[in-house]
Amino acid sequence: MSRVTLETLPDYARYLIAAAERAAAYNPVARKIRLPRLELTAHLGPGVLADALDHAFVETRDDQPETSSCRIFIVHPGIPGIPEPAKWGDAHFTEHGFAKRLAETGLRGHHFHDLDFWQFYDPQRRVGVQLMASADAFPPWEPGAPLRAFLHWEYAARGMRLAHAGTLGANGKGLLLAGAGGAGKSGTVAAGLLNGLDSVGDDYVLIDLANGVTACPLFATLKQDPQGFARLGLKNRLPAHGPLNWQGKHTFHIGDIAPRPVPDTLDIVALVVPHIGGGGASSIMPVSRRDAMIALAPSGIAQMPGERESGFRFFSDLTRLLPCYRLSLGTQPQEIAGTIADFLARSAS
Amino acid sequence: MHHSDVYAISSKDIVFESFDGEAVVLDLSSGKYFGFSDSGSRIWQALSSGVDAQVLIGLTAGASTIGRAELEGFVSQLLELGLLVCLDAPPQPLPSELLAELAATSEPLTVSVHDDLADLIIVDPIHEVEEPVGWPAVKQAS
Repeated sequence: MSRVTLETLPDYARYLIAAAERAAAYNPVARKIRLPRLELTAHLGPGVLADALDHAFVETRDDQPETSSCRIFIVHPGIPGIPEPAKWGDAHFTEHGFAKRLAETGLRGHHFHDLDFWQFYDPQRRVGVQLMASADAFPPWEPGAPLRAFLHWEYAARGMRLAHAGTLGANGKGLLLAGAGGAGKSGTVAAGLLNGLDSVGDDYVLIDLANGVTACPLFATLKQDPQGFARLGLKNRLPAHGPLNWQGKHTFHIGDIAPRPVPDTLDIVALVVPHIGGGGASSIMPVSRRDAMIALAPSGIAQMPGERESGFRFFSDLTRLLPCYRLSLGTQPQEIAGTIADFLARSAS
Repeated sequence: MHHSDVYAISSKDIVFESFDGEAVVLDLSSGKYFGFSDSGSRIWQALSSGVDAQVLIGLTAGASTIGRAELEGFVSQLLELGLLVCLDAPPQPLPSELLAELAATSEPLTVSVHDDLADLIIVDPIHEVEEPVGWPAVKQAS
């Protein structure tokens, strides 16, 4: 089995992209996904990932200006012409060194060692490859937000960004909920949706800073741990829920609990850092932009391979464009949603 | 404190932004974040632009003045964190607006480290071989 080093990494990336393009005819599924200003075509075989592509996205309803097309080939050695994945061949591996080496040659990439899982993207040609050791050898988080890395690279090349954040809104205005896992983003989003608010996502959303701060939906999957699932009444509302995901959480579709179709966009009016309160009523207080930035940026940058400095600058600009608040969460979903709805109404007036 | 008392940002991988006068620094190579207090941000700004550290001793920062020991401790921390390096170069003048900004601060001289999402450096032990013996003898931790 071949080994790839920093020296040979760009050649390996281009070799895999070319091999995947040549083998396109052997991939029976070509799934088109319509996203904000992007039509993504994924070429792959049937299976869990193909099923995930059918359900994981919030697709745009209307034709949009400046739409580009990209192609992603999801391949494995069971497809004629596709090699076994290489192993990493240097003594050390750093995410930043890996990304920098590829960026020097105009490429983007990610490597998950445990599964010999490789993703490479050429943003100039808008072509990418995801090479797996077998058809089902993908990381457990992949079906929940499939092709996330490719979307990150494509949108970053246009000056937009995937943010690791939740959203809630009303009448087209919204707030961005920032914080690492466990901060209360998903529970807050679900509480809001169940009580009449809108959302464009609870985990990853697309941010554009071209005209203020706008957030667009990409992924349709929501998550809740079993305690939150029960507390929010979802156990009764979604009786046909499936097995827990790799994090031990329930996953469900935003359409299962949203009061109306997911909006195409929300104009973001505030950056809000939720935290689990002491059991009283919810409250919203100002927080420094420094603290809001530290809540927003690290997980967004750490979970998206490459583009670190541009991400740091982007999230800095975003933070400076918005008033920032700390949301102390109460225990009652209806009360949390009411506090946010009142806040949004005040912000919009 | 190093004898030169002039410092510079340690590498191109150290990037920072300021939010209402408060600095957030990211080490691109490790993924670690550093949040500076308001007074720490002004001192970071001065040190990272080549102002002589000695000039900062005795300046008013909020309700107190910056003491030698306090500044030396802060500079040592920034050196240990890999954010600054000593520089053998003439010092830059202290910007006049920094004096007023430092006087208006209210927090002590601190920097907080946020490394819970920093990178793990992944080591391939197969390549950590005993060179005289060669492949595939793995080096043992001493």
